[in-house]
Amino acid sequence: MNADMTVFDRRAVRRHRDRAAASVQDVADILHDAAERLLDRLDDISRRFTRALDVGGRGVVAPMLRARGIETICCDLSPAMAARAGAPAVAADEEFLPFAPGSFDLVVASLSLHWVNDLPGTLIQLRMALKPDGVLLASLPALGTLAELRRALTAAEAEITGGASPRVSPFPDLRDCAGLLQRAGFALPVADAEDIRLLYADPLALLRDLRAAGETNAVALRNRRIPPRALFPAALAALPQTDGRIPATLRLAMLTGWAPAPTQPQPLKRGSARISLADALRGDA
Amino acid sequence: MSDTDNPVPVDPRLLEILVCPLTKTPLTYDRARNELVSRAAGLAYPIRDGIPIMLPEEARPLDED
Repeated sequence: MNADMTVFDRRAVRRHRDRAAASVQDVADILHDAAERLLDRLDDISRRFTRALDVGGRGVVAPMLRARGIETICCDLSPAMAARAGAPAVAADEEFLPFAPGSFDLVVASLSLHWVNDLPGTLIQLRMALKPDGVLLASLPALGTLAELRRALTAAEAEITGGASPRVSPFPDLRDCAGLLQRAGFALPVADAEDIRLLYADPLALLRDLRAAGETNAVALRNRRIPPRALFPAALAALPQTDGRIPATLRLAMLTGWAPAPTQPQPLKRGSARISLADALRGDA
Repeated sequence: MSDTDNPVPVDPRLLEILVCPLTKTPLTYDRARNELVSRAAGLAYPIRDGIPIMLPEEARPLDED
């Protein structure tokens, strides 16, 4: 099984995004909220960006960047979804990016890298596409996202069929995210978490939103048979409720990393210290 | 509807920065066929509605010529 570590079925991802291009407007508020939280980090960076790459922004992120006066090129695995961002746009596979080295000084990937099989490879390609001292801002759903739904579906499926199959995508642990950036060669990597808590009056509305965003199951090992008729009603009925409403948590891992540049703070070379640690600790240095 | 009838022109800013996704080598713009050609990969990437489709599975193999 899966000798090449293919977790996600990229054809299914493409299909879901093609289909969602017509419906993603229904969840624009949530996407806008998530993108706003990510772009907030730009306000802490005192420099001007001239050209940005929007990876999979679903027509929401590119206008926000352009409103900040940044020339923005959008790419998406689905040509229909890329077109939503307006020109200039490109259909591109995040695992095989078509950009020359040093093309951008900013890359923004808002909730768009979680269906990529080779995330380190994609991050390396994004770093290469950045100019020295360019910035990557990325948000990924992290472990904890849709945890309520995952638990309810697994319990209901085990109850009905005696087994379980992956129905909610595997998400990375926040702790791994900064390491991932470092591994991909980013300088000054930071990962922090923000929760977006959604309340749904009706559990079916949660599933409708996921579908509208193109976020239906594309796990390669997913059970492709039609689920038992009782599965979703049983799982949805078991979802925890708050005042008659269904809470759903989006735990976003917010990643910031910089393409290395000589002007950035650098650690000193080993052995280059002129004061011994013992002296420094004694306080007479 | 075909790609070559009244094609939407590709944004010149894209031509500056796009490379072949497989070989990362420069592309040449074939204006007549409205394609971006990667000699290194032997593929021509179509441009639809002004959007370059940089997906190898949708590219035209060059030895078809």
